[in-house]
Amino acid sequence: MKPHLSLPRTLTTLALATLMTACAGPGPKPDSELQSAESAIKQAEASDARQFQPVLLNEAMNKVADARALIDEEQYTQARRLLEQAEVDAQLAGARSETEKAQRAVAEINNNIENLRQQLNSNQQ
Amino acid sequence: MNSTLSIGFALGLSVLMVGCASTPQQNASVDEARSAYMAIEQDPNVARSGSAQLRQAKLELDRAQALLEDGADINQVEHVAYLAQRHAEIALQQGKRADLEEEISSVEERRKQLMLQMKSNEANEARMEAEALRAEMAALKAEQTERGMVLTLGDVLFDLNKADLKDAGKRSVERLADFMKQYQERRVLIEGYTDSTGAAEYNQKLSERRAVSVQQELMDQGIPGSRIEVEGYGEAYPVATNDTSAGRQQNRRVEIVISDESGSISTR
Repeated sequence: MKPHLSLPRTLTTLALATLMTACAGPGPKPDSELQSAESAIKQAEASDARQFQPVLLNEAMNKVADARALIDEEQYTQARRLLEQAEVDAQLAGARSETEKAQRAVAEINNNIENLRQQLNSNQQ
Repeated sequence: MNSTLSIGFALGLSVLMVGCASTPQQNASVDEARSAYMAIEQDPNVARSGSAQLRQAKLELDRAQALLEDGADINQVEHVAYLAQRHAEIALQQGKRADLEEEISSVEERRKQLMLQMKSNEANEARMEAEALRAEMAALKAEQTERGMVLTLGDVLFDLNKADLKDAGKRSVERLADFMKQYQERRVLIEGYTDSTGAAEYNQKLSERRAVSVQQELMDQGIPGSRIEVEGYGEAYPVATNDTSAGRQQNRRVEIVISDESGSISTR
């Protein structure tokens, strides 16, 4: 065993370790994330999110637009995050819209019931 | 050679560990995501209808927690916490929606029952109305003929060879007036007839005067003239033979044809 260290080797190892902790690198182009985000937006629109959740839907769409710009600049990590967020934003917009629609349907039927009940009462009098 | 390599690794590892230890283990976004998850973890509606999203929320939450403990980039931690929280809310919304859908089917059922009840009430009312009408017609002694309901005022209800109604005749007309007040859409056609004794012209006039006399009595009872038509037929349309006195008496009569509910009357 040699008593001293080889300086260049140590430095290389250190640099490598630092690089690995700093960031995992840009990774591949987030094509599948882009697809998922866009299809989530389409589904949200099909759930009438444009009418019931326009703010959240816009947020999702803006994130996709920003992500596209980042992809052009090859900033894939940041782009991937935005796309992942856009996907859940759009899903939430769709889910909230469906809840809202169901709530309205309940209210409408209850209204209808109330009218029927009044008619029945007035007919019986 | 080997030892330098391992020393290098050891150094790198220690840098990593120091990095970890200095990172705070608390993060507001992760805490928020955790409480969002815990709020719905036991929700039966979410369990029934949002389980996939709930699982996703749990996965992302664990990942955010692990990243936090590993001292990963704070942006990455908060990003994953964001995903966890979104998934939790999506699960919550899906649960809410499923609950509402159930409510919709139960209130829809209630609505259908009320509609049925209403229909049967309406049918009942219509039946009761029809029954009441039949009873009224029976009270009037009106008869169902091919021209509709016809009420016949016999000769005995008039003074002999005159158009004036006797009291019994007036009572019959009063019942008809009551009926017409109750059924506002009904109209009447009053037709006078005589037997063939005497001059046809005289008989024609007498039949007309008797019909008008009934019309007058109806109007005196408050029935507007617009709902009454009169016609004298004289000797025409006998209902019995004019060869016997009984037959002639039957022929001397006033017939009141009651319209249908749309107000139309079939004339001769």
